[in-house]
Amino acid sequence: MTNRNDVTGTKRRSAGRRLLSAAAVAALCAGAGAAFAATPKNALVMAWNVDAISTFDPAQVGEVVTNEILQNTCDTLVDFDPADERKVQPSFAERWDVSPDRKEITFHLHKGAKFPSGNPVTAEDVAWSLHRVVKLNFGNAATLTEFGFTKDNVEQTIVAGDNTVTFKLDKPYPTTLVLQSIAANRVSMVMDKKTLMANEQGSDLGNKYLATRTACVGPYKLTRWNAGESIVLEANDGYWGKAPGLKRILIRHVAEPGTQRLLLSQGDVDVARDLTPEDLKDLEGSKDVSIVKVLRPQLFYWGFNVADGPFSKEKVRLAMRYLIDYEGLGKTVMTYLGVPRASFAQLGAVGALDAKEGQPFKLDLDKAKQLLAEAGYPNGFEASVLFGTLPHANPIAQSVQQNAAKVGVKLSLERMANAQLFSKVRGREYQSAMLAWQTGVPDAHGNASRLVFNPDNRPEAKQTQYPSWRSAYQDLALNKQIDEALLEADPAKRDALYATIQKEVMEKGPMAFMFQMNSVAGVRKDLKSWTWNGFRAYYELATK
Amino acid sequence: MSRTAIAASGHSSDPGRTIFPSWLKASGRTLASFAVTLLGLAALTFFIGRLLPLDPVVAVLGDNVTQEAYQAMYKQLGLDQPLYVQFGRYIWGVLHLDFGMALTTGKPVMADIARVFPATIELASVAIVIGTSLGIPLGVLSAMYRGSWLDQIVRVVGLIGYSAPNFWLGLMGLVLFYATLGWVGGPGRIDFTYEFDLEPVTGFLLIDSLLAGNWEMFGNAVSHIILPASILAFSSLAYISRMTRSFMMEQLSQEYVVTARVKGLSWARTVWGHAFRNIAVQVVTVVALSYAFLLEGAVLTETVFAWPGFGRYLTNALLAGDMNAVVGCTLLVGVIFVTLNLLCDLLYRVFDPRTR
Repeated sequence: MTNRNDVTGTKRRSAGRRLLSAAAVAALCAGAGAAFAATPKNALVMAWNVDAISTFDPAQVGEVVTNEILQNTCDTLVDFDPADERKVQPSFAERWDVSPDRKEITFHLHKGAKFPSGNPVTAEDVAWSLHRVVKLNFGNAATLTEFGFTKDNVEQTIVAGDNTVTFKLDKPYPTTLVLQSIAANRVSMVMDKKTLMANEQGSDLGNKYLATRTACVGPYKLTRWNAGESIVLEANDGYWGKAPGLKRILIRHVAEPGTQRLLLSQGDVDVARDLTPEDLKDLEGSKDVSIVKVLRPQLFYWGFNVADGPFSKEKVRLAMRYLIDYEGLGKTVMTYLGVPRASFAQLGAVGALDAKEGQPFKLDLDKAKQLLAEAGYPNGFEASVLFGTLPHANPIAQSVQQNAAKVGVKLSLERMANAQLFSKVRGREYQSAMLAWQTGVPDAHGNASRLVFNPDNRPEAKQTQYPSWRSAYQDLALNKQIDEALLEADPAKRDALYATIQKEVMEKGPMAFMFQMNSVAGVRKDLKSWTWNGFRAYYELATK
Repeated sequence: MSRTAIAASGHSSDPGRTIFPSWLKASGRTLASFAVTLLGLAALTFFIGRLLPLDPVVAVLGDNVTQEAYQAMYKQLGLDQPLYVQFGRYIWGVLHLDFGMALTTGKPVMADIARVFPATIELASVAIVIGTSLGIPLGVLSAMYRGSWLDQIVRVVGLIGYSAPNFWLGLMGLVLFYATLGWVGGPGRIDFTYEFDLEPVTGFLLIDSLLAGNWEMFGNAVSHIILPASILAFSSLAYISRMTRSFMMEQLSQEYVVTARVKGLSWARTVWGHAFRNIAVQVVTVVALSYAFLLEGAVLTETVFAWPGFGRYLTNALLAGDMNAVVGCTLLVGVIFVTLNLLCDLLYRVFDPRTR
């Protein structure tokens, strides 16, 4: 129950609401007074568009929103350091040992922890949680299969011991990369095996059960989710770790940014997550609200289908990069939302080129025209650009279209629902498309392994989880370089290898990367310690 | 000739000669037409949904999925079956009140509708009460005083109600009454603080808070609903008042009105006691249609006011390619229209003795 002492408000608003409510109640032949309720002192109230949530199963979740909620309700083996996302810190694993050949990592787990169900958390739960991700084989399984764990071997290669779990790797991958990619990722979230198996339907390992609830251990527990309405997290009283600063996290689904802004300005929410650049600009000087932003590992790019047509030519793809007004768009449409970035490796990742080297392009119509002529298209060509419902996609596409027209390239823009866009791109049924891609790894390998590496380019191979395959792009030499960089033990040499790959891909790759996105929010100043980095928001650190 | 055939051929003046009484036959016809309408609606929505270039598998599994998992889910959803088999299975489920699982929420469509529909009914009902209670008197008055300043004002208000987008009106209303004056509650059905105190019984917050005897919560719910309901009522008001004015003007030009006036009846009594009774049937139809449109869900108003209602649910389902939810919602809309039509027919009998 809510503590009424937590409810505060201004006299003016309270009186006003009472007045109108009284009139309304009279109209409804009843009588009552309304009361103004600001956000409770022991709760964080957030306005956010949470339409994308469709399940809470870490094996299946792909959306940013659900991932963030899970990160605050389900512990992983290790966690990203709030201050530096490239570093990891202990979480449910107190510590870890690495074998001399780097092919075995043993995690030592906390003792005595319990799930909210009351079941004890065991090493078997931890290992089983990882096994089920591979066995269920949703998109997230690739996080493990990329490191050699398969359905056939996972029970032998991820093994529970005496309060330990050991990863047996097929290759000497860099340990930090394994920790970032797997141990800090949602695939290692510790699930309540007993509860899930008791609620198994068919052989779904609890997947349907998790469609509407969680079954894991973390600082908060999910107590309510009304789809398209609200989410309530409550502090997990029996949590093994430090108790969170606030008892409740209340997330109200608010799709309209203008409405979010009003709620934030009025103090009815503490955080608004989907404000537009205009709203953010207006709120910048507010005495009650701070604008906070952090770079996230999401890239907005213009992808080309290189199977045939003009985009099959490297010089055409390079020319397209010179049609993007990185600077102009960065100062207008993308203010607050992102920063120009032409490299596939996001800023902040291990091995990424710096801001200058990673964005060498600028709008240059003459250069574009020259490249088109060299590619055999002196008079340009016609092509289509598909894009979805991201608010910045339309103005960016229009800007590119206008610039392209100046060099004779007629681009027709086609806006569609995201589900339709994804279907077309996955099926290679497009010429070019603007969309976003987000990695879960603060390492250049995260994107190199999906956006550049392509194991099998045959149409029938249907490697749809690789955007490189969706672009029909395969460069065997680059595949080899990526494999080399992955296993390079010397950090300096590894960085150098990735630098070479990035420069090469910027010249000839199948995607013109345009912007690296920010996470931006308006935060009320009475909310203290709102902490986040590119990979997660730490609700448990927030206080009032 | 069988007894049934005799009845059907019109020789049924003797009730004893028919197997089925006329009311039963009428009900049977109504039910049959109801079933055919819904089946047609379901078929149309289902097959159009399958033709749309939206991928339900991507809606479930997301974009980043292996082809193996994609194929498994494709099969699990029954999409590998011929369309007529898929449709047959769907209808069989519907007959058992199983509309399938909503891909976007992971819950049964029926459960989703049961959750979101009360929010829309509540909003639409308050809106139609406001719209009707203001629209009808304004329409009548404007016909009575045709060409007067009152008539002009009602016409201008009607024009604004028709032409101003609810989305814009909603945002402006929020800025003025919520953010500037602080007279009403903000977006959402109730302040978050109260959500924990409420045990849902009917799903209608106004009723549930009253049932709980919590007046403070009731007031808060009223303060949240009053603005979106008024915005929706505005467009209903415009429609109802314009139509009422038009119906009434036609009646006021009839000879019986002149006769009533000549016999010394007051204007008010002539209009409300005689003319209005003659337009009641038409007004009921207009009000019922307005209500039906409101029950379909006012997507934009629900979006601006973060109102977790039916319209927004349906729109999200459509954009995500969640066809189970879309077909379920479409059937519900069909049921609403058919039910309100039936209700209108019943009310005709109340208001117009000739139809009895």
